[in-house]
Amino acid sequence: MVVAAIPIAMAFVRALLTVDGRFAGPDNFTRILSNPELAGSIRATLVYAVIVVPTEVLVGLGLATLVHRTVRRGWMRGLIYILASIPIVIPMIAVGVTFRLIYAADYGLLNVVLGGSGKGQILWLSDPILAMLAVASVDVWQWTPFVFLVLFAGFQTVHHEAVEAAEVDGAGPWARFRHIELPYLRPLLVLVVFFRLADVMWVFDHVYVLTGGGPGTTTQFLSLFMYKVAFRFDQMGPASALSAMVMVVMTVVYFAINRYLPKESAR
Amino acid sequence: MKRRLQRIATSLILLGALLVLVFPIYWLVATSLKSNAELYASVPTLLPQNPTLEPYYSVLVDRNGSKLLVNSLVAGVCSTALAITIALALCYPITRLPTSPRVRGFVLGWSMSLRFLPPVALVIPWLIIIRALGLYNELPALMIVYTVMNLPFAIWMIKGFLDEIPMETEQAALIDGATRFQAFTKVILPLSKTGILAAGIIVLAFDWAEFPFALVLTATDQAMTFPVGVQGLVTQFEIIWNDMAAAGVIAIAIPLVLMVAARKYVMSGLTFGVVRDT
Repeated sequence: MVVAAIPIAMAFVRALLTVDGRFAGPDNFTRILSNPELAGSIRATLVYAVIVVPTEVLVGLGLATLVHRTVRRGWMRGLIYILASIPIVIPMIAVGVTFRLIYAADYGLLNVVLGGSGKGQILWLSDPILAMLAVASVDVWQWTPFVFLVLFAGFQTVHHEAVEAAEVDGAGPWARFRHIELPYLRPLLVLVVFFRLADVMWVFDHVYVLTGGGPGTTTQFLSLFMYKVAFRFDQMGPASALSAMVMVVMTVVYFAINRYLPKESAR
Repeated sequence: MKRRLQRIATSLILLGALLVLVFPIYWLVATSLKSNAELYASVPTLLPQNPTLEPYYSVLVDRNGSKLLVNSLVAGVCSTALAITIALALCYPITRLPTSPRVRGFVLGWSMSLRFLPPVALVIPWLIIIRALGLYNELPALMIVYTVMNLPFAIWMIKGFLDEIPMETEQAALIDGATRFQAFTKVILPLSKTGILAAGIIVLAFDWAEFPFALVLTATDQAMTFPVGVQGLVTQFEIIWNDMAAAGVIAIAIPLVLMVAARKYVMSGLTFGVVRDT
């Protein structure tokens, strides 16, 4: 436990020091906060989160409802389970590579299918808006199945009697969902949204191999920005300051949301 | 009539979803089996015309990928074993012995809150520590970091599995004259075997997939892991697509094989314990 606290403490210590180890005061903090690219990276991260999280939750919820209501055969459910779990366990780097094969302008499958060549090529990864959408689509591809699995499992905990009683009373599919199934799913929905938000704020791997933050800085999310400050510009102090601030923010958010999370069962 | 239309519509939606899910992986595998000559055919073929394992040879031997593969596995297996052992040592007292709820709450709350700290935010402080320890570009550096980073998850999972073992089974052993340690090794361990296995496989998969730490803490083949190697193939000037795809397939294959082999146990861990046996 103590060991886990060392890197956290180290971020704060380094944030307060100069390159040669003297006390720097708030210098590193002001330097990172006045970095002109910081605001852009926060904005890009928020845009990404706003695109990705609702899409994943809605599509995942929709598919979970659909499969729950229409697929009855055990083996089919088993097959869907295995297929849906594939994206969760494979490395994000490999997912990035996979989608590079699809989105690349010259060799990418998408452009080949669309028939564009030479001037007609669509620059999926180097057009500001398309690059954001392309990167977001990869997240959606990888994590919608996760949302699906969790919510589909949630459906299995709904009591049959309640559903049957409602049907006898003439409740339609929507009423059934809204008044009976949704209350069961609510704690899981909160958990899933929270997990996805925590991850999405710090996406790194697949963006690194797909766009590297580009074109320009349009997909330079917070994590890539921090990486660039630390390793391209070699400014460990300011990067540590950002790191420390992030930890404070995440801790505050965690304690603010903590009581809404389901206890014990939350792994 | 309406019913039938509905049925067709839902089937189409599900089929579409499956296609979107599976096709990218299929395309990755197909590309990885194409020869260099076929790669630059003006119209890429859906099926590799002359499937070849050349790209795999190129990645593993010519580009020394097998060394990175070994690095990844060594770092992964060692840190998984460490994380699981420490998690067991922490979870046993809080689930089995009379511990105050405050200690219990502290351990669990602490590990839960650590899970929400973004790993990327910890890369820089870890780099400073690893450099101070003189472990930069050494495998033990990755083992330490991976163990610490995965501990919270391992604790939550193993606690869940230990909770499911009734107290009475252990007490029976104690009454029969077994020591606490004997009761642990002879009763608790065998009963929680599947849980430990599941936690181990998931942690191993996380280690295998980990990228930012390996990128920052290693520099050469001596300690570099496979995902960093995969990334190296992408950011080059000219991408050799079939080699890149082959590296991607290898990166995907290992966790996938582990998952499918142990899916019964692993599922619940991946989905907060919601998904139980199916």
